[in-house]
Amino acid sequence: MKNLKIYPLALLLFIVVLSSCLEETPNFYEFEGYQFENMDENGGTWKTILVSNPTQINISEPESISSAAYQEELNLLKQRMSGLSTSQKEAVEYWTNNPILRWNEIALELAAKYNLIPGPNPDGTYTLPNATNPEGPPAFPFAHPPYTSRMLAYLSVAQFDALVVAWHYKFEYNRMAPYHIDNSIVPAYATSQLPSYPSDGATVAAVSKEILKTMFPLEFTYLETKYQEHLESLINSGINVPSDIEAGISIGEEVVKLARQRASTDGMSKAQTPKPVSDSIANSAFERFGWKWQNMETPQRPVGLTPLFGQVKMWNVPTVEEVRPGPPPSPGSEDFERDVQELKKFASHMTLNQRRIANWWEDGIGSYTPPGHWNKFAKESIVKNKFNPLRSARVFAYMNTAIMDAGVACWDTKYYYHYPRPVETIPGFKTILGTPNFPAYTSGHSTFSAAAAEVLSYFFPDDATQFRLWAEEAAVSRIYGGIHYRFDAEVGIDQGKKVGTYAVKRAKDDGAR
Amino acid sequence: MKKLLPIIMGLVILGISHFKSNAQTPWDEVMMEKGEICAALIYEHSSWDQYWEGTYLRENANIGTFTRQMGMPMIAMGLTQNVNIIASLPYVSTNPSSGTQVGQRGIQDLSISVKVNWLQKQMGKGNLLFLTNTHFGRPMGNYLSDYMPFSIGFGAPEIGLRGIGAFKLDNGLVFRAGLAYLWRGQTEIERNYYYENGSVYSQYMNVPNALNFHAAIGYWALENRLRLEATYMSLNCLTGDDIRSYNRPQPTNKTEVSQVGAWAQYYIKADRGLGALVYFNQTISGRNMGNATTLGLGLTYQFKVY
Repeated sequence: MKNLKIYPLALLLFIVVLSSCLEETPNFYEFEGYQFENMDENGGTWKTILVSNPTQINISEPESISSAAYQEELNLLKQRMSGLSTSQKEAVEYWTNNPILRWNEIALELAAKYNLIPGPNPDGTYTLPNATNPEGPPAFPFAHPPYTSRMLAYLSVAQFDALVVAWHYKFEYNRMAPYHIDNSIVPAYATSQLPSYPSDGATVAAVSKEILKTMFPLEFTYLETKYQEHLESLINSGINVPSDIEAGISIGEEVVKLARQRASTDGMSKAQTPKPVSDSIANSAFERFGWKWQNMETPQRPVGLTPLFGQVKMWNVPTVEEVRPGPPPSPGSEDFERDVQELKKFASHMTLNQRRIANWWEDGIGSYTPPGHWNKFAKESIVKNKFNPLRSARVFAYMNTAIMDAGVACWDTKYYYHYPRPVETIPGFKTILGTPNFPAYTSGHSTFSAAAAEVLSYFFPDDATQFRLWAEEAAVSRIYGGIHYRFDAEVGIDQGKKVGTYAVKRAKDDGAR
Repeated sequence: MKKLLPIIMGLVILGISHFKSNAQTPWDEVMMEKGEICAALIYEHSSWDQYWEGTYLRENANIGTFTRQMGMPMIAMGLTQNVNIIASLPYVSTNPSSGTQVGQRGIQDLSISVKVNWLQKQMGKGNLLFLTNTHFGRPMGNYLSDYMPFSIGFGAPEIGLRGIGAFKLDNGLVFRAGLAYLWRGQTEIERNYYYENGSVYSQYMNVPNALNFHAAIGYWALENRLRLEATYMSLNCLTGDDIRSYNRPQPTNKTEVSQVGAWAQYYIKADRGLGALVYFNQTISGRNMGNATTLGLGLTYQFKVY
């Protein structure tokens, strides 16, 4: 019996050892701070998307570095830096010198938080989120893929335009960072020759906070907290004085006005139609093709997701019709039956790798959606290539406008052809993924992913093969998941590529390299 | 889940060598004699048509009635007089009665327990007992935990340490309570981003640790051939998040459940050989769990090898 007494101790040791083997579960992307590979001195001349010309936003000349006002700012900065608390130091480390990446992560986190589909009421009806009553229930918004694609497009476009303006004034006024002026200041980030007035960090902070507040009205307090922490970190890290920050904020505020103006008239408010409109869309498809999609949930959802998202204003494609593909094979046709047989085969003999692919790309309810997934890839490539904030914003702006355009194009196709899902056409068919509340053809994942891959391939040519493979994998994942036919995926890839090409063409012509 | 074994009330109480076969679980006070082996096969049927989303009890017409069936071979062995080993490996299948998503089936988690008898002391008209049960569990096969509620398990290793105290009256009445701390590791999932009160960039989910409480009032009748128990069980995760509105559960959830139940076990012969058991559990409260009703049936066979 005596030797049995060591066994609780052995057990404790075992647990301690096992606990130390646990994988990390970080809440944000952890990366080493880096020196920008390029300053993009001519960034202020790049073509903007919302702003017509940087001089449209007036930023006055800063006080000279020899002025008493500036010296006072320097003293304040040094004083602040000498007394940082642990949490302030952590905040400095968190925000990094490329805060575009953090605001993008915040956007994805809110997308995942709000990507919840409203459940039925006790009487079997559904209440939709309402922008005029954001508390709900259900809370506004439902950050589904079209919503999230649009949210990210406005965020990234506004960040990009505001940074072009900031770059314009940076190199016009050439006021260097505090640590270049006072050698006793040791910045928390890699030093750079980027002029610090107006602050690019503050520009990004102001734009991002305001755009995200528009998109996620219930997150006002959270966003304010992040915003204040970010602004403080600009000083605490030794890279900006308050006047840099004020100028940066004023650029941000002006660009936000332009973004809000466009957003209020882009057609999104009409995308979620009432039932009669939705029914008439379904009936036109039925008259045209002899089929129509219906929701298969219990109780049945009366209206699909955003039937008129296909009419929302695009960024890079002149008209949605020019990227609308031809019709899918009709149910019962040979081509259709072949793809149905394939679905049945996957359902009954799924390999582990197929299951993994289906889940890896699911990006379903409660997640950051496929647009979020591609934003994560963009972020990782930006860090890998040591892009400065302006060039990072450019990647996000072109990618996210391409992704939103892909969403618009795909949704136009979805509701034009109104094609039924596999769970409707194959009796007794069961899936490992939830079937979404909109028609099948073309696949959203495929379209979003192919468009994103095209844009990323242009910006990061070394990894082009990888991006395109990922897009193909995202497309085929929906077939493994049992919610799309192969033709949905293949035509979706073509459609997404086409849409992405428009963005790439525009990017090639924007004056950056 | 439920497991079995034997013990001799006569021996424990009177201290004489007169053993009988009795089923044993990792949470009861029963021990098997050295060299005794009990093999058991248990079938369990559990179903719910309501579940707690956080603390809100709801229905979901796209699940309908959720049924979980389990077949579990189990073996218990008396290694020495005071040390028993119990091992089990369930096969689980899940099935929703409606909706378009497919249920799952497969081999779940291997569990190995070591049960140690530390104390038995005559006190008045009864006997005071203290035992511990340490168990280790790990997923077998390739089931995906992150497919709730249809997944067949939480997909993480578990180490549990349980203390069991019991008082057995000479007249056959038994009072028992046991408390376990369950340490759970991580489950590997098939995506590398998920939401748990915020973004998590990982392909692993932390399954919350839990406290597991059992209590029973039992009675041994028909010369110790029939064992009857009224049971209470609760399991409370110490951390974790709630299922979000109309969203699916995930292994990070703070699950809580309490159940009342009954357990009956009958030995066809007074000694060794074949036995049968039946149990029933009704969930009475919960959080992030199905409001399940469970019925289990089992056959046991006991023999001596050395």
